[in-house]
Amino acid sequence: MKRSLSFLPWLLALIVLAMLPELLPVKYYLHLSILALIWVIVAQGQNLIQGFTGYVSIVQAGFMGIGAYGSALLSLNLQWPLWATVAMAPVITALFALLTGYPSLRVKGHYFAIVTLAFNLIIVIVLVHYSELTKGEAGISNIPKPWGGSREAFYYLALVLASALTLLAALIARSRVGEILLAIRQNEDLVAAVGIAAWKYKLFAFVVSAMYAGLGGALYAHFQGFINPEIFGVAQSLDAILAVILGGAGTIAGPAIGAFLVVFLPELLRFADSFRLILYGLILVLATIFMPIGIVGIARSGFARMTGRGGQHGG
Amino acid sequence: MLIEILQQTINGLAIGGVYVLIALGLTTVFGILGIAHFAHGSVSMSGGYLTYFLVTAQGLPLLAAIPAALAAGFLLGVLVEMLAYRPVRHANHINAFIVALGLTMMVEGINLQLFGHEQVVIPTGLNRVFRLGGITVPELRLYVIIAAILLVVAMMIFVERTKTGQAIRAVAENRDAAILMGVNVKTIPLIVFGMSTALGVAAGIMVGALFAIAPGIGEGLVVKGFAVLILGGLGSFPGAILGGTVLGITESIAAGFISSGYKDVIAFVVMIIVLLIRPQGLLGRAP
Repeated sequence: MKRSLSFLPWLLALIVLAMLPELLPVKYYLHLSILALIWVIVAQGQNLIQGFTGYVSIVQAGFMGIGAYGSALLSLNLQWPLWATVAMAPVITALFALLTGYPSLRVKGHYFAIVTLAFNLIIVIVLVHYSELTKGEAGISNIPKPWGGSREAFYYLALVLASALTLLAALIARSRVGEILLAIRQNEDLVAAVGIAAWKYKLFAFVVSAMYAGLGGALYAHFQGFINPEIFGVAQSLDAILAVILGGAGTIAGPAIGAFLVVFLPELLRFADSFRLILYGLILVLATIFMPIGIVGIARSGFARMTGRGGQHGG
Repeated sequence: MLIEILQQTINGLAIGGVYVLIALGLTTVFGILGIAHFAHGSVSMSGGYLTYFLVTAQGLPLLAAIPAALAAGFLLGVLVEMLAYRPVRHANHINAFIVALGLTMMVEGINLQLFGHEQVVIPTGLNRVFRLGGITVPELRLYVIIAAILLVVAMMIFVERTKTGQAIRAVAENRDAAILMGVNVKTIPLIVFGMSTALGVAAGIMVGALFAIAPGIGEGLVVKGFAVLILGGLGSFPGAILGGTVLGITESIAAGFISSGYKDVIAFVVMIIVLLIRPQGLLGRAP
């Protein structure tokens, strides 16, 4: 399948995002935009295993936690420079992902989802109870922030990293590896039948997705300056899944749009305050029932109808 | 040492009973509809909350409140199937799972809205303690164990001996053949969801009487329920009973001898080991 990447919408989005700090009337929105960009990274990782490979992993926030705690502890306890700790975070996370991915990828479907969910629970329990290292439920504060805590500077850092990792995800998706991952999603038995060791590719997707999460977690830690185990619970792993589903699973633009939605949607629903959880859940249920192909899927079929072209338009 | 192990086993049996009831509901829904009903724990806790409300705010006796809550649970299950899961019946399985996640959020939100953040304990007035040798058995735990056994037996009789039960098993075994034999596949899911949710509500009431109900408890419980399913084998009734009991006792002994903080980790590690050695579960059929 040949897919043409149309650069124009991407370029436009990038220009708007680059000008965003000037355009935003309220500084709090800049704060949310940085969180959204961090979530773009996390969601692109989730999309590799969930969207392309078809394995719904529920441990993405747990891996964020490993990256966040890894980076924070290296800088606080060993006084490593910030750039070194942030660069180490995906490496540490990859090690954990190798250890957990090997047993969990032996099973499929619901089994895989539940086993990864159990891993997320284990990570949170260890973060809470291994308090000699992690300070338990109270969490770790005073994590060093770059550039004296300048939000604008951090915004551009997050933007550059999110863009680069989105591009990397697109390159993986269009490579031979990406094609094999798609084939695994469609028919894993067939992939094995033609003599490809599917488990290697699944493990690759799982580990890379964890590295994305680990980096996202480290960025989160050094942006907020504070982390505790609760932030990396199952609920946040579900947010990563939502971002992929709402935006459009198995597309490149989908997770990016979805990430902004999962960060901004709860804020927009703030007027409802205590009804927020109910509304958020309702939106999710309705979205899954009425638009299972995600926003990108809907936009794509709408665009195809408008231009009178029935064919799939890649992007 | 032996006394201590026996004591923890008795303690574990009560919580194991809760796990079995939750897992039976999950395994029935999964076996028949192929849905990983993640909202099951939160829906079950609504029933626990309702019982608490009927007893404390309405002054109903516990023995009247429990059947009312079970009936409400049955109706709630029917509603959940009709409104949330039926529209995604023919879609990708993962969509039903996402719907389940959204439903969990909604039900947790409704519970919060109606009953607040504070934990609640269902007052039972059952405070006597029986002593047997060196082992102490609180009256309440004993009744919970007996009630769990009775419910499991009732469920088994229903599924094994009644015509509706036969139809349910037929759909689980072979959906298309069941349709050809004239089984109404529209009402079966409703009955399955109603029954499963009523069993879940029974578990919710037990949790509320033994420990406490609070936000998030239901989500924790449903994950344990899935762990039980993996231990016993997805869709297997005897597997759910064995898995729930084993998990309850293992947790209790681990909490008594190793560390109460890590007891959940031990439960999940057992689950992962079983998955590695015997992916179909202890009593599951080989795929």
